[in-house]
Amino acid sequence: MKRTLTVCPYCGVGCTFYLVSDAGRLVGVEPSVTNPVNRGGLCVKGWNAFAFVHHPDRLTTPLIRQNGELRPASWDEALGTVVGRLRSIQERHGADAIMFASSAKATNEENYLLMKLARGVFATNNIDHCARLCHSSTVVGLAEAFGSGAMTNSISCVDRADVILVIGSNSTEQHPLIGSRILTAARSGARLIVADNRRIRLARHADLHLRHKNGSDVALLNGMMHVIIAEGLADRAFIEGRTEGYPALAESVAGWTAERAAAVTGLAPAEIIAAARLFAGGERGMIVYSMGITQHSHGVDNVRCCASLAMLTGNLGRPGTGVNPLRGQNNVQGGCDMGALPEFYSGYQKVTDQAQREKFARSWGVASLPESPGLPLTRAMDAAAEGRLAGMFIMGENPMLSDPDQAHARRALESLEFLVVQEIFLSETAALADVVLPGACYAEKEGTFTNTERRVQRVRKAVAPPGEARPDWEIICALAERAGYAGMRYPDPEAVMAEIASLTPIYGGIAYDRLDPHGVQWPCPEPGHPGTPILHLERFTRGLGRFTPADYRPPAEPPDAEFPLVLTTGRTYFHWHTGTMTRRTHLLDREERRAFVEINPADAARLDIRDRDEVLVSSRRGEVRAQARITEMVVSGVVFMPFHFAEGAANALTNNVLDDESSIPEFKVCAVRVRRAP
Amino acid sequence: MKSIPPDNLPDFFNSLSATFEVRLPIELPDGTRTLGNPGDGPIALHGGALPGKPTAAFFPQQGPVFTVAGGFVAEAPSPPRPLFVAGFTPRDLDCLRFIDRFFAEGWHDDIYFSRRRGALVAGVSGRCGPGGALLPPAGGDCDLEMVWDGCRWLIVPYSEAGLAITSELPDSAPSNALDQIRQASEALPDEEGTLIRRASRLLRADRVPDSFWAEIGERCIACTACNLACPTCTCFGVQDWRYAERVERSRMWDSCQLDGFMREASGHNPLGTEALRTRRRIHHKLAADPERWGEISCFRCGRCDAVCPTGIGIFAVAREMVDRFGSGG
Repeated sequence: MKRTLTVCPYCGVGCTFYLVSDAGRLVGVEPSVTNPVNRGGLCVKGWNAFAFVHHPDRLTTPLIRQNGELRPASWDEALGTVVGRLRSIQERHGADAIMFASSAKATNEENYLLMKLARGVFATNNIDHCARLCHSSTVVGLAEAFGSGAMTNSISCVDRADVILVIGSNSTEQHPLIGSRILTAARSGARLIVADNRRIRLARHADLHLRHKNGSDVALLNGMMHVIIAEGLADRAFIEGRTEGYPALAESVAGWTAERAAAVTGLAPAEIIAAARLFAGGERGMIVYSMGITQHSHGVDNVRCCASLAMLTGNLGRPGTGVNPLRGQNNVQGGCDMGALPEFYSGYQKVTDQAQREKFARSWGVASLPESPGLPLTRAMDAAAEGRLAGMFIMGENPMLSDPDQAHARRALESLEFLVVQEIFLSETAALADVVLPGACYAEKEGTFTNTERRVQRVRKAVAPPGEARPDWEIICALAERAGYAGMRYPDPEAVMAEIASLTPIYGGIAYDRLDPHGVQWPCPEPGHPGTPILHLERFTRGLGRFTPADYRPPAEPPDAEFPLVLTTGRTYFHWHTGTMTRRTHLLDREERRAFVEINPADAARLDIRDRDEVLVSSRRGEVRAQARITEMVVSGVVFMPFHFAEGAANALTNNVLDDESSIPEFKVCAVRVRRAP
Repeated sequence: MKSIPPDNLPDFFNSLSATFEVRLPIELPDGTRTLGNPGDGPIALHGGALPGKPTAAFFPQQGPVFTVAGGFVAEAPSPPRPLFVAGFTPRDLDCLRFIDRFFAEGWHDDIYFSRRRGALVAGVSGRCGPGGALLPPAGGDCDLEMVWDGCRWLIVPYSEAGLAITSELPDSAPSNALDQIRQASEALPDEEGTLIRRASRLLRADRVPDSFWAEIGERCIACTACNLACPTCTCFGVQDWRYAERVERSRMWDSCQLDGFMREASGHNPLGTEALRTRRRIHHKLAADPERWGEISCFRCGRCDAVCPTGIGIFAVAREMVDRFGSGG
C-alpha cells in the first residue's frame, strides 16, 4: 500500500490528494487534510480521480495510419514519421504551415517543452492550447486593465468577502471546492449576488438572483456601474489614487440607466439597482466569474466590465476582494504561464520583443526565433479548413468535441496533410490522426500544475504508465532529439523547471524543493520569495489600473422564427469536458450516461415534449439527438446542453464566431430549435 | 500493567511485521494522517479518528472481485499474511462491530472476510484525542487496546491473539494507570450521543418535514464524501473491465447521494431529488437501522462532518433538526 501526494487532474481549483496504490494498481484516493485549497474535501470527480487510470481502453503503443487503419508501431518508427512528415511540410509550405496544440491537462514542464519544441526546433509561434476556448478573453481583458491576466486574489479570500458577485459561473458544479466555499460564506452572512439565468445551486442561496438574458452581461454591468456612480457609491479615493481612464468610463456608462440596462437584459430596473447597491455597499466585494463571461463574441468586453466594476468600487488589492476568473482546467493557468500561447513565451514575455527573443534564443542555443505571433487555436482550425495549414500536432486535446461547430472542426482536421495526436485514450480526435502517440496520465508522471489562484503544486508518479506509454515530456524531448536538436536533454522534470525559472521572472523562485507541501503562488521572482497570494496590493502590475469602457453588442446569432430558442452550452458536475476520463469512470458515467437538453416547462408544453423524451436539437450547423430534461433550471426561451457526449455533441450546434480580440468562440449563445424525435 | 514507551513503538510494530501485514496510523508528508505501513511515515497514534475510515483496511475504496482469463475464474486474492490494524478509536470499533455483523449476515461477504478473518485489531484511546482530548477506552471489541495515559501506551489485551502478541511486553506501568483513565472517562459528557439519539427519535416520530430535507438537499453538492468517509456505509458498485486477454470485475465504494444509485432502468428514480437522497442518508442511519439492526448505525466518529465541504455532516444536520423540531421527547 503506497500513498502518493499529487494534484487532482480535473478542474483548476487544484485540490490535492494522495493516490492510494497497491501492487502497482490504484485503489483509491485520500484528500490532503492540510492543503489550504481543499482542506480535506474533494468533489465527486476528485474522489473518483483514480478510477479511469487502468481502463482497458488506454493507449499502450504508438499507432500509425496505414491503408486507412491505425496499426501499432514502434516508438522509433512513430517518432521518425512525426518528425519527417512535419519537416517535409515545412520544407514545402514554410515553418508556419504547422500548428502545435498544447494541453491544459499536461504539466507546466510539458507545456514549456512543447512551446520550446514549436519555437526553438520547428521555428514557429503557432502554439496555443485550450485556454483559447475558456479564458483567452480574461488574459486579454485583465492584462489590459491590471497588467496581469490571472485571478487577482486567493481562494481563501472567499472566506473574507462580505459581498460576492458570481457572474457566469456555476461554481458548485464546475469548481466545487470553491463553490462550496462560496455557499458556506453565504450561509455565514456574506451577501451573495448570482447573475446567471440558469437556476444554479448558488442562485438558491443568493440574496439576489439576476436571470439576465444570455449575452447581456455588458448591459447589466454597465447598468450597475451607472447606478453606483449616480448614487455616489463609487470609491473616489481608489479611482483617483490607483486608476486611469475613469472619465471615459463614466461617460460611457452615463447613458446606461437602470431602465436602459433592464430593457436589454430582461431584468427589472429595481433588480439592477439592488445589485449595484448591494455590491457597492460591501466593505470587501469579490467578483467571481467563469465561462458565462468569457465565452462570447464580446468576451473581452465582458471581462473589461468586471474589471471596471471592481476598480470603481475599490475592490482590488485587499483580502476578500478582487476579480477572480475561475480557471477551468487543472493546469490551464500553467499552460498560459508556460507560453503555450501564440504571442508569448513563458511568463507572458512577448515574442515580438527582440530582447526577449534574444534571451530565449541564447538560452536554447538557437540562432534565432520567429518574430511574429502565431495562430490562435481557433484561427488555426479555420486555416486548416481553408487549406492554409498542413500539419498539426495535438497534445491531450480533443477538438472534435470541444471546438465550436463540429462539422467545421472535422473539416479542419480532415483537411490536414498530417495530424499527430498525443493522448491517453483514442479520443474522437485521435481517431482521425495519422500518428497517435500514447501518453502517460497525471498519475504516471512527475511535474507541476498551477491552479486558478496561481499556486504551483507538485504532481507525482504513483504508478507506471501502461504498456509503452510515456510521459508527454519524454515524448517531446525524444521528438526534439529526433529533429536533431540537442538542447532538450533533461534527467527529469525538475531540471525542466530549473530552466523555466531561469527564463521566467514570475516563476524565478519556483523550484521543486520549495513546493512541499502545498506549493507557492506566483509571482515568485526569486529564491526565498514567499509567493504572492494577492496581486496588485499597493500598485497594479501595470502601474495604474486602467478603465476601458465597453459598449453592449448583442450575441452574433440571436433566436429567430426558424431557430426560436437560445442554446447555451457547458458542463455537468459529473463529467469533464469531452468525457475521455469521466465516461470511463464507473460511478461518474452511471450518473450522467447520455446527452441531454434542459428545457423550461413552458417551452416543453408548447413543443409537446415530456420529461425524458428523445428530442432533436438543430441549429444552422447541425442536428443532434438528446434526452429532454424538463426543468426550471433554465428560463423559457433558453435550452442548455453539456458538451461531453460524442453521440449527442452540443458542439455540432454551436456557432464558430470568435471574439475579435481574444479569438474565443461564442459557446454560450446560438439559435436552435427543438422537436420531439420521430 | 503492560505498557510501551513511545520510543519503543516502532520496535513493537516492526516485531509484528514477520507475522502480520501491519497497518497503523502514520503521518504523511503534508501532515495528513492515514492508515499506512510501518516505515512509510512517522507513527501518528495521537490525534483521534483518522480522516479516512480504518475499516478501509478490510473494505478498500476499490478492489478486485474476480478475474476471468482463459476460461478460468480467479477470485480476489487474500492477503498473504493476516492483517494487524491499529488505530481504531472506540467509536471506530463500534463501527467495525456493526459492519462485521452486516457483512456476516445474509449473503456473507467473502471478499470482506478474506481480509477480516484472522486479522488483529488494535484500538487506540486515552489522552490521545485531538489536542490531547480523552477518548474513553473501548474495553473490548478489539484484540488489544492501546491507551495513552499521558506518558506511555498502556497495553490492554482482550483476545487470546492479543494476549499472545503482547505477552513479552514488560509490566512497566502502575497497576492503577488504566483505572485512572477509566474514571476520568466516566465524567465525560456524551453530548454527541445525546444529540444523535434525539435526532433519531425525531425521525422515528416523523416530526421532520420534507421542507427541512429540501433545504439540506440544496446545500449538498453530491461530493459523496459523507458516504465514502463513513465506516458504516457499506454500499458498493461493480464494474467489469474487458482487457484483450482477461476480464476484471472489481467493486468500489458507492454513494446513496448519487442519482444513479437508485435510478431504475426506465430512468425513473424513487430517490430522484437531492432532498430525498439527503433524507435517506440520515434516515437510514438514525431510523431504519435501529429497526433492522437494533441500534443507530451512526457511532459518532465525526468523519462526515469533517469532510463535508458545505457543512451538512450528520452532527450538523442533527443539530439543526433538534434545534428546529425539538428534542423528540
